[in-house]
Amino acid sequence: MNLSLPENKKIRFLRWFDFRSWRLGMLAYILNRVTAIGLVLYLYIHLAVLSMLTGGPAQWDPFVALARSPMFLALDVLLLAGMLIHGLNGVRVALTGFGIGVRAQKPMFVALMLVGAVLLLAGALKIFME
Amino acid sequence: MNPKRSTLGWFWQSVTGLALLLLLGVHFVAHHFIAAGGLRDFNQVMAYLSNPIIIALELGFLVSVTIHALLGVRSILFDLGLDARWEKNVTWALTALGALTLAYGVWLLYTILQTGSALAMWTR
Repeated sequence: MNLSLPENKKIRFLRWFDFRSWRLGMLAYILNRVTAIGLVLYLYIHLAVLSMLTGGPAQWDPFVALARSPMFLALDVLLLAGMLIHGLNGVRVALTGFGIGVRAQKPMFVALMLVGAVLLLAGALKIFME
Repeated sequence: MNPKRSTLGWFWQSVTGLALLLLLGVHFVAHHFIAAGGLRDFNQVMAYLSNPIIIALELGFLVSVTIHALLGVRSILFDLGLDARWEKNVTWALTALGALTLAYGVWLLYTILQTGSALAMWTR
């Protein structure tokens, strides 16, 4: 099997991973979908984990001790990042859907993501300062 | 795709999304920022759930997040280009999954409250 691509195709394929060539709208769409899939997976894992609460403190409290470890806290920050990206981008999607600020989509997206970055930084500090 | 149906899906996605800004905000801040140590142990969970307003907020969160998540999965699947029959199947399967999710969530909340009050009786 010949795995080598013709040079121009290879360049085109690699360009896919070059974020500079991504259109902003495409980036927003991909971010929305990727965070959506992650959040749905998290939701069901979260619901499953919560069943440990039915076992009372004997079952729940050892898990809480584990979840307060730095590795889990890092996952909390990742979760917060996913929620902020999805939620703030969702504000833009909903507003545009209702016909509000359609022309200002790009600056709105950038501004919302900047708000998200600030909130993520503040949240991460708060999560690790406990 | 039936345009009417997809418009309705988009509308509910916005409504539940808006609700989630508030409900998920409360949920996440209460469980990860305000809680001492970053996450509630069993007694802290029970203390938190002793407030009926909190129970209402958690139930509202469960309903909106389930609808929002599964409508989202539906639109991702629809984007794959399904024919009308498969769109119908997907909608039914996700509706069933949503009903199961809500039933599980309500059962879980009820059972946790029962466990908590049973333990409180023991230690009293």
